[in-house]
Amino acid sequence: MQPLLNVENLVKHYTKRTVSGARDELLALNGVNFTIHAGTTLAVVGESGSGKSTLAFCVACLEYPTSGRIWFDGRDIIQLAENERRKIRPKIQLIFQDPAGSLDPRWNALEILTEPLVLQGKFGCEEMEHHAYSLLARVGLPSEIGKSLPMELSGGQRQRLAIARALALEPKLLILDEALSALDCSVQAQIANLLMDLQSSLGMTYLFITHDLAMAAHLADDVAVMNRGQIVEQGPAESVLRQPQCETTRFLLASVPRLVGASPSARKQ
Amino acid sequence: MRYLLRRLGHAFFLLSSVSILTFLFAALAPGNYFDEMRLNPQIAPETVAALRAQYQLDRPLPVRYVSWLNSVIHGEMGFSFAYNSAVAPLLIARARNTLLLTITATLLAWGIALPLGVWSAERLECWPDRLLSWGTAALLVIPDLGLVLGLLVLAVKTNWFPAGGMAAVDFEDLSPVHKIRDLALHMTLPVVALVLSVLPLLVRHVRAAVADVLQAPFLLAARGHGISRRTLLYRYALPAAANPLISLFGFSIGGLLSGSLLIEVVMSWPGVGPLLLEAILGRDIFVVIGGVLFSTLFLVGGNFLADMLLYWVDPRIRTERSRA
Amino acid sequence: MRGRTSLAKWLIVLVVLHGIVACAGFFAPYDPVEQARGSPYLPPMRPHLVDKNGHFHVRPFVYLMKLQEGSFDQYEEDKSQAKLLRFFVSGARYRLLGLLPCRIHLFGAENARIYLLGSDAFGRDQFSRLVFGGQVSLLAGLLGAGITLLIGLCLGAAAGYYGGWIDDLLMRFAELFLALPWLYLLFALRAFLPLAISPIKAFFLIIVVIGAVGWARPARLVRAVVLSTKERDFVRAARGFGATDLYLLRRHILPETASVLLTQAAILVPQFVLAEMTLSFLGLGVPEPVPTWGNLLSNLQQYSVLVSYWWMYLPALAMVPFFLGYLGLASSLQERGKTHKIAKRSLGSLP
Repeated sequence: MQPLLNVENLVKHYTKRTVSGARDELLALNGVNFTIHAGTTLAVVGESGSGKSTLAFCVACLEYPTSGRIWFDGRDIIQLAENERRKIRPKIQLIFQDPAGSLDPRWNALEILTEPLVLQGKFGCEEMEHHAYSLLARVGLPSEIGKSLPMELSGGQRQRLAIARALALEPKLLILDEALSALDCSVQAQIANLLMDLQSSLGMTYLFITHDLAMAAHLADDVAVMNRGQIVEQGPAESVLRQPQCETTRFLLASVPRLVGASPSARKQ
Repeated sequence: MRYLLRRLGHAFFLLSSVSILTFLFAALAPGNYFDEMRLNPQIAPETVAALRAQYQLDRPLPVRYVSWLNSVIHGEMGFSFAYNSAVAPLLIARARNTLLLTITATLLAWGIALPLGVWSAERLECWPDRLLSWGTAALLVIPDLGLVLGLLVLAVKTNWFPAGGMAAVDFEDLSPVHKIRDLALHMTLPVVALVLSVLPLLVRHVRAAVADVLQAPFLLAARGHGISRRTLLYRYALPAAANPLISLFGFSIGGLLSGSLLIEVVMSWPGVGPLLLEAILGRDIFVVIGGVLFSTLFLVGGNFLADMLLYWVDPRIRTERSRA
Repeated sequence: MRGRTSLAKWLIVLVVLHGIVACAGFFAPYDPVEQARGSPYLPPMRPHLVDKNGHFHVRPFVYLMKLQEGSFDQYEEDKSQAKLLRFFVSGARYRLLGLLPCRIHLFGAENARIYLLGSDAFGRDQFSRLVFGGQVSLLAGLLGAGITLLIGLCLGAAAGYYGGWIDDLLMRFAELFLALPWLYLLFALRAFLPLAISPIKAFFLIIVVIGAVGWARPARLVRAVVLSTKERDFVRAARGFGATDLYLLRRHILPETASVLLTQAAILVPQFVLAEMTLSFLGLGVPEPVPTWGNLLSNLQQYSVLVSYWWMYLPALAMVPFFLGYLGLASSLQERGKTHKIAKRSLGSLP
């Protein structure tokens, strides 16, 4: 079966101009290859600076890679024109690391939730509100928070709101860029469970980017390890985490105090 | 070193751009000096035409600009119709007086603002600081024009200071000591006016910059080590505050120049200000361009000085350089 | 919140002050161009409550002026001629706020002219000229500030949002404007425009010139805000939903610039009023007979006026309450901006 997402040889350069006027070249992605099948979760792990966020932004079409191809549902989304790409965008959504930063502090929850619907031009006013409340229910938020501003919500509630917003356009692929890292431990577990529920009920596909191996073990079917812009090891979660081949993977595993939730095979229970 | 050369090139670029723009504006302006002459029945129209040709007012724009540049290189900077001489000597004589006024005021203003600002920042929100805030606010709400005119009224009513001008009528006959005294007396009011007009903002910004540094974590850590207040201030806080303060210095030059323009006109101080105003009213184009360029030169020069100071004081700028 | 109440306080002060100037026709007893050649350079008439015999009167009155013995231009109070100050008198016609024809003035006297702030060389009432003059000067300041902020907003937003060569070009252009001290720039711009023009044309010309001078600093501030907001996650998220550039600017990015723009407005308006005053004072602004705060002061350039007629200086202080109001407004806006930022930071959003 064709994979939902197929990333081929992705390369991304950043050029920065320093105060003194010279140009600094940064190679964020250096030839990245991987695939994700529908309904599964791929965790991309690595240290800070390994290029994980750049990868997330490229797949979400928020950055343009220097070279390479990204096949989504059989189409190369990089080569598309912007108005064609705008039709594909609802299908790939990104959840950011900082729950507060990803929500406009001046808008209330209802306005935040209905924004994607307004932008895509679907539904009338009343239908949109109705849809927004059903989204709130789906992520486990009470409908009273509809009029609240983000600063009145807790971290966990904000992240749920962000997930609800991402779900508004019924995406097929959800990219989670360190989405749980800024939350407290107990809240992390709750959101992780919510994500797993959504995956089983809606058939969502996740690209889960994290530096937290324990969480990766808990949630992922497959794991890819990144170091300095390249994937140094990838495969089914169990084999990568049990029998690491690479220096990087071993190093990452060694720095985890204890694998929570035991082996990945315990996940589906 | 390359950093300084780049800043120098940048300054030069600014100067030349301003000269081109000013020249363009001047050329586009309606009316010229000779319109006045044409109205004068005593001057024959042929003379006017000949003068126009002589000053190349009929040639196309780029040609005029190039010939003006040429005259700049030869040290003339164009010709003043009103004074019937090259612009440069006129300007230099006046510029000396303006610089005398402005530099004295700068030194005095910073000499007062720095200690006051630091003193105030150390006692943030206590009554000395509040008192100073009120004082600067009181000065700020008086418009510059009101301040200058008020000082003039004061001079006239009390006769303590001369009400304008730069030298007494019998200046040349005075002994050197008396000459200096005379100059100082004439300079007092303009300098006081200039200092008072920039002081309040300066004090506020110094206070803000130093207060920011004093609240920085690294300074709190140093205080926790038991370092004496004096050392803390001079070896930790002020060097860290040097960056914003030096930028402030560059920024304050513009305000000082603008202030000096008004003060020179009102108090008849023979600087660039009155010359510029006269030239504007009389449509003496090259003098106007010269005056505007002088102010740009001074401002850009002052900022370049500030850049150099910054380079010397702030190691972060030097390391950026070496990394690239 | 403390910040909010002090903001309201300053706003009220400013509204009242501007209201007085806007209704100049009511507050001023006479038409500002009305001359009385027989009474040049009269000193201010002080309202009294106690007359020369020590009697207290409920209604204030003034003494008319008479020439001092042996002087041809020094006046003193003529204690034999007292005029009661009447309120809500009918006087010269004017249009309230430029629309409603009216005849009522706040105060006046019967069969006499009251000079609260003295008169000028043509016998015109300085007080009336002061109040009317405020209309021109304040309007010039407000409109000039509006133009500057509009230009600064557009150029700053364009530079910050699109970056690249647009940013470079605009910032270099801004540097040119910052490389000249503002008064020199103002003079230069004014110099190259026609000198002898009608008051209306001069007024609009000055507004445009003043507005064109100061755009560089607000543009830089707007650019900084746009640059930092552009990188924030909620903007990225909106782009992920298919938002266009215009939508992002309009709904997410530009609202963030509101506080910067308001603070700049509070700082710029008094500066621009001062600029108009300076230009008019030196004869480069709005010409006679239209009164502005600047040209009310221009005859102080004559030594004789400076020495003998001290009340001609008073219009210079007219600006002080306005400056105070705007300073207070700017301070409280800046305070609010600071507390808002602190509140945002403590809620855990990334720096």
